[in-house]
Amino acid sequence: MSSQSPLVSIVMLCWNRWDDVKESLGRIREIDYDNIEIIVCDNNSSDGTQANIKAKFPEIKLIEMEQNIGIEAYNCGFEAARGEFIVIIDDDSFPAKNSIKRMVEKFRGDDKLGICAFDVRSFDSYDEVSSDKHDACGAAESKEYYMGFNGAGAGVRKSVFKEVGYYPGEFFLYMNEADSAIRVWDAGYKVVFFSDVVSYHKQAAKNRSSWRAPFYYTRNSFWLVWKNYPLFKALRQTVFLINSCIYYSLEQCTSIYIKALASAFWGIGALRGKRSPVKVEIAEKMRIPFNLPFTFYR
Amino acid sequence: MKRLLIIRSVSLQQLDSNIIEIKKKFPEYHISLLAHEHGAKLAEKYDDIDDIVVYPFNCSFSWHNQARFDDLEEFDDLVVPVGNISGAGFFNVMFFSLFIPTKRRWLCNLVSDIKPLSTFAIVMLGIRNFVFSVVSIAITCAISIVAIPFLTTFFVLERTRSYFER
Repeated sequence: MSSQSPLVSIVMLCWNRWDDVKESLGRIREIDYDNIEIIVCDNNSSDGTQANIKAKFPEIKLIEMEQNIGIEAYNCGFEAARGEFIVIIDDDSFPAKNSIKRMVEKFRGDDKLGICAFDVRSFDSYDEVSSDKHDACGAAESKEYYMGFNGAGAGVRKSVFKEVGYYPGEFFLYMNEADSAIRVWDAGYKVVFFSDVVSYHKQAAKNRSSWRAPFYYTRNSFWLVWKNYPLFKALRQTVFLINSCIYYSLEQCTSIYIKALASAFWGIGALRGKRSPVKVEIAEKMRIPFNLPFTFYR
Repeated sequence: MKRLLIIRSVSLQQLDSNIIEIKKKFPEYHISLLAHEHGAKLAEKYDDIDDIVVYPFNCSFSWHNQARFDDLEEFDDLVVPVGNISGAGFFNVMFFSLFIPTKRRWLCNLVSDIKPLSTFAIVMLGIRNFVFSVVSIAITCAISIVAIPFLTTFFVLERTRSYFER
């Protein structure tokens, strides 16, 4: 690809995972695209990540937070990005060598493509997966419903992302992709998965006994609905979510979903001034797996 | 050749790991994958998947939406992958699997342990969960009496605020 290629900004968020960050940044150096800027937003890591990045990856633009502000830190990176397109990755994920080039081609071929969702594959099976037939496939769309994307690998048209307001900082963790996706669709742009645009992601924790994933996924499901859904659909979905919290608390003998439910109502002030209901059609067709938060705990 | 169906109830990222163990346990099987429309396209490139059956609904796998699978030939084995260790939260998929003709069912968890899943176990789980459903609906009704007016007020206030800000 020539130097005329559009600038692509890769934005990574990290917090206390230097080994993963090192691996990902090393892999990013191998990417087959010559006009890239890399931005790492560090959420005040205490494991030496910041100093290590400065020493070992001097070409990277490092944005240092004064405290852990969760996904809000991404927004600092998005705002600082100079690229026409932004690639969002986690600190334990990285795009395949040819993915950036392919992503740019997808964006160039469709002005209405707001988000190019990568096919996120397991890094643990890298050797097997990377030999798959990535060239043979293209867009994975549905005529029946609208898709979100996975934050471990997604390309975003910066102008569109800025228009819809980046990630919802108040979420802190999780469900932010669904929030962005629904607003991108509502703005008249598409989110499309491309099976030939791949990123690799390390496998999640083997047994998520941690409270973080179920808590934030559940609380933010409520907030996602309250922020974006039209009135009657929001009320109906809220009842469904309340019922799910009770049901899965009984099924899994945990109080984590009840705490998340209480936290959603208790913290509703965080949504003040942020409610902006999307069109009914968007809310109806958007595929958001509201059962997912209840599968992380045990 | 024996036939195996995998229900794509977890991410492809997890399936990448699961499928290695599934292939070991079921060598020489013809493997089919049941996936939602978008997942079908993504799964096409799997070397280990021989064919894909599209689940033509937007929602999660549900016994309500299984009628179109009546004409499927019987599988020898069926695997339900789950995104955690125990399978908690995946009862809908297990129950859904009862409506797909197969000789045996298996559960494959996050760490790729593959365990048998009997019809009896699913039915017992169903009875237990039915009781939980009744209790949760009753509690939800009680909470909603307070929550719905509260939320409606919040939404109306937000709308009023945005009107005046404009």
